[in-house]
Amino acid sequence: MKYFMLHNLVKIFFMLICLCSFYYLNAHAKVSGIEHAVFRITNFQQRPDWQSPWKLKPTVRGQGSGFLIKNDLILTNAHVVSDSRMILVNKISSSKPFLADVFAIAHDSDLALLKVRDPNFYLNLNPLKLGGIPKLRSRVRAFGYPMGGQELSRTEGVVSRIEFGTYVHSGIDSHLLVQTDSAINPGNSGGPVTQHGKVIGVAFQSNLRLNDVGYFIPVPLITRFLIDMKDGKYEGVPEIGVQTSSLFNRHYRRYHGLPENNTGILVDRVVPRSSAEGLIIKGDVLTKIEDKRIDAAGMVNFGEQLVSFFIEAENRQIGDSLKVEVWRDGKFHNLSLTLKAPPFGAELRNSYDELPEYLIFGGLVLIALNRNYIHLTGNLSPSLAYEHWYRELERPHTRRDQSVLISRVLPSSVNTGYTNLQNFIVSTVNGSSINTLKDLDKMLKDMPAATRHVVFESEWDNMPVVLDYKKSLDQQQDVLKRYGILSGSNLSETN
Amino acid sequence: MIKFILFSVIVGWIICSPTLLLFRVLHAETPPIKPWFKKAVLLKSYQQSFDWLTPWDKREIRTQSGMALVVNLPLSKKSETSKKADKKTLYLLTTAEMVADATLIEVTRKDIRQPFQAKLVLMDYAANLALLNIENSNFWDGLNPIKWSPVKNKSKVDAIDVYSFKIKSAHKWEIESGTIQLMTVGHRRVSDAWFPILKLSGFSKARQGYPLLQENEAVGMILETDKRKAIPTQMLLEFLEHAGKATYNSLAHRGFSWRELPQPSTADYFKIPPALPGIWISRVLPYGTGSEVLKHGDYLTKIGKWRLSHDAIIEHPEWGHSLFDLLFLDQLKVGDPLELDIIRDGEAMILHTKVSAYKDDGRTVPLKRVGYTPRYLIQGGFLFQELTANYLSMWGANWRSRAPVRLRLFLEKNKTVLMGNNLNDESELQSAKSAQRFVLVTQVIPDQINIGYQKLSNAIVQQINGQEIRRLKDVEEAFLNPDKGFHRIDFLPGSDRLSAVLPVEGLNQSNQRIKSNFRIPKLQSY
Repeated sequence: MKYFMLHNLVKIFFMLICLCSFYYLNAHAKVSGIEHAVFRITNFQQRPDWQSPWKLKPTVRGQGSGFLIKNDLILTNAHVVSDSRMILVNKISSSKPFLADVFAIAHDSDLALLKVRDPNFYLNLNPLKLGGIPKLRSRVRAFGYPMGGQELSRTEGVVSRIEFGTYVHSGIDSHLLVQTDSAINPGNSGGPVTQHGKVIGVAFQSNLRLNDVGYFIPVPLITRFLIDMKDGKYEGVPEIGVQTSSLFNRHYRRYHGLPENNTGILVDRVVPRSSAEGLIIKGDVLTKIEDKRIDAAGMVNFGEQLVSFFIEAENRQIGDSLKVEVWRDGKFHNLSLTLKAPPFGAELRNSYDELPEYLIFGGLVLIALNRNYIHLTGNLSPSLAYEHWYRELERPHTRRDQSVLISRVLPSSVNTGYTNLQNFIVSTVNGSSINTLKDLDKMLKDMPAATRHVVFESEWDNMPVVLDYKKSLDQQQDVLKRYGILSGSNLSETN
Repeated sequence: MIKFILFSVIVGWIICSPTLLLFRVLHAETPPIKPWFKKAVLLKSYQQSFDWLTPWDKREIRTQSGMALVVNLPLSKKSETSKKADKKTLYLLTTAEMVADATLIEVTRKDIRQPFQAKLVLMDYAANLALLNIENSNFWDGLNPIKWSPVKNKSKVDAIDVYSFKIKSAHKWEIESGTIQLMTVGHRRVSDAWFPILKLSGFSKARQGYPLLQENEAVGMILETDKRKAIPTQMLLEFLEHAGKATYNSLAHRGFSWRELPQPSTADYFKIPPALPGIWISRVLPYGTGSEVLKHGDYLTKIGKWRLSHDAIIEHPEWGHSLFDLLFLDQLKVGDPLELDIIRDGEAMILHTKVSAYKDDGRTVPLKRVGYTPRYLIQGGFLFQELTANYLSMWGANWRSRAPVRLRLFLEKNKTVLMGNNLNDESELQSAKSAQRFVLVTQVIPDQINIGYQKLSNAIVQQINGQEIRRLKDVEEAFLNPDKGFHRIDFLPGSDRLSAVLPVEGLNQSNQRIKSNFRIPKLQSY
């Protein structure tokens, strides 16, 4: 009997050793495979000078990471490869750089795909496989090429949170993100975060004010990006287009006549031209989305935690439908929305990969107000803030496609007296309201030759800017030449 | 012989020079200090302003030291009839900053160790002047009013020698010398007021309220030590003159803002004759000289007999090239008839008006005010307050750049486009929206009735129960008309949320609970 028990114990012990060895070897093999598919990306980046929009700033060298996601595509962050003049990719422990090009870029979700020009780069490489959403407190491993060295770095940590948060690359988009205490430092961006040999996210940002707080983009957003790109054109993450406020306050729920034990979130505003326009109205209470109950804070169940109800839109494509239930006039209504791209203008996002629009007339530098410009030091004035954020909210009927402003003046004899002028928001020119910079350019070009004055008026300044029209035209080339400006304008084709 | 004479002269010069220099130093004329012991007193004030974030509370006490000057009111009938200064007509003059929000003002005479308590009689915060009284008649025994005189030696362009005091201890007063650099026009930003001012240099110890002296006569009063400014005699006399009247009217002030015409094409566009000097009226204020007759866009070429240059300079009879505001120093008095030459819509015309004074009201966001209890109202933990510069100043010394941009917008664009106005004429705006204010929910004081609203702060109230809110009083009235058992509060877009609801039932209990839990003495104050 004793012999039998001992025999069995030895067998069990042997089996355990086999299992552990197998697991270790398997895990090691996976790690080894992962490492070969993670690359160092060097971007020679050149950003525009928003103060002098005809100029580019000096080239800077940035380092990031990326990994093979398909046979010939490398996934990385948009911020790693934006505004690039040249991109180089290095394999692990190799000093040989390969030239790469941006194949697709999604600034709203900070993702990008690269293609290396030399097909030999891909020899003997296996793409990494995507996993799912990790569990809270589960261990994860981040791979990448953070600053402070040239070789691949591997760090480990646990999943601390899964929630919605701002993607700083665009500065305005809010999507699902996963927080980890695994070290994610500058240069890690674009590298894979793995669990059980599969990619569960792309490292992309950290909170430098806090210790051990790094974030990665989870798989659903990556998958959405890859599906979006199937037709070769990136359309963007759809949005519902509502602004909401919580209904925690039970008196407010009673005021709306919501049945007891029913929650939901209050619609404060329906954004014009959005998916919700014409279906959802201000004052509705959103109670369900895709049959998931929305709580008073606007959260829905997502795996083991609660996340913003917007998750149901962000995991879909533009053109997809979305079911919502609203409480309106004492009844529940079921609605079906067709998802659209975010309705807000591109000017609200940080701009990349394009040169600023501008127009120079009589030495006045006219630009279209955007996020990049307003965040320059000293530009966050109440008037610019109003034009940038609040006008559409408060007086949407007065909204213009672009807020045109005289950002500065290039001193010349035609504009003496105005040389200190800055950030003069243009409402009308010779009495006609200005919708875009392109409109203004056309208006200035189409003015009759006999026009004496060009009068720029502003709602924010009670003295107009008046220039002599003929003199301004006559001196245009002289001004450009004197200030070394190659072109008097850079105007978007889309406006 | 010649050599001997030359030698004697040189030796004599070498010996005599230091001796003469020493003699000059020893016998240098030092201004007499003693008479001023009877004309100036030390002042210490304990100031405590309200905390506008919790408007029922006060902030930490701070103390300031300076001086107050003995004055009598020129128009006081008693002082006119009596040959000697009647001590009952004597007052103390100091700066408003010294005594604003004071809880205790103590003054100490040079010859009496015991401090006396002073009371504020009158304060013109815009002009930075205050008049104090002391009820204890012993204080005034032997004190004499200051004799004021305009600055002399103005022809000396570079600098004019003046002096003041440095007080080492209550009983050790010394002379401190300095110079007047120029007479100019100062902008007191807290009140947006423009008054003539003397710019000083050389003083390091003189402080607020100290007299500025020249040839043993007072020519002004020092306003600030760090910026070295003094208010000139003429302005002090005008203040005292007004103070002696039944109702105080502030000092003469312009009633408009102006801009230079940038270039000939601008003048051509406005139909202003080429090369005609003048200034363009960019904004008409709701008070001040010319506010009743001028219009936005007028081109002002002459004020009375004084021609204006392109940059608003006039030829002042005493001070030469100066900003036109200097006319209010001694040339134009409140109530004087005045002609203004203007170009309006291409036509020259003369406007007839009277010189008028500064006022501190007429703004949708009032500028900094002192001596006022903050106005507030609490309902269900919602703290309603009017937007004021005092509230914005809670963001610290750099509040003009640090306070929320959303709120600064209302201050900077006083004639804001936000409420659908784009008026350049302040007086027009005033009549259109008399005494309009922006009412905020500055914070939500936590209570069970307002769970879910705690994140709300600095939200601009548009309506309560369907009633437009244009001043704090409207809030109280609107809460009298609930709708079906609820109070609904709507906020201007851009706030954290656009609406909130409070129940009628339980609101009073909630208010009392909040009052007791947070030790708030009153639920409303205005």
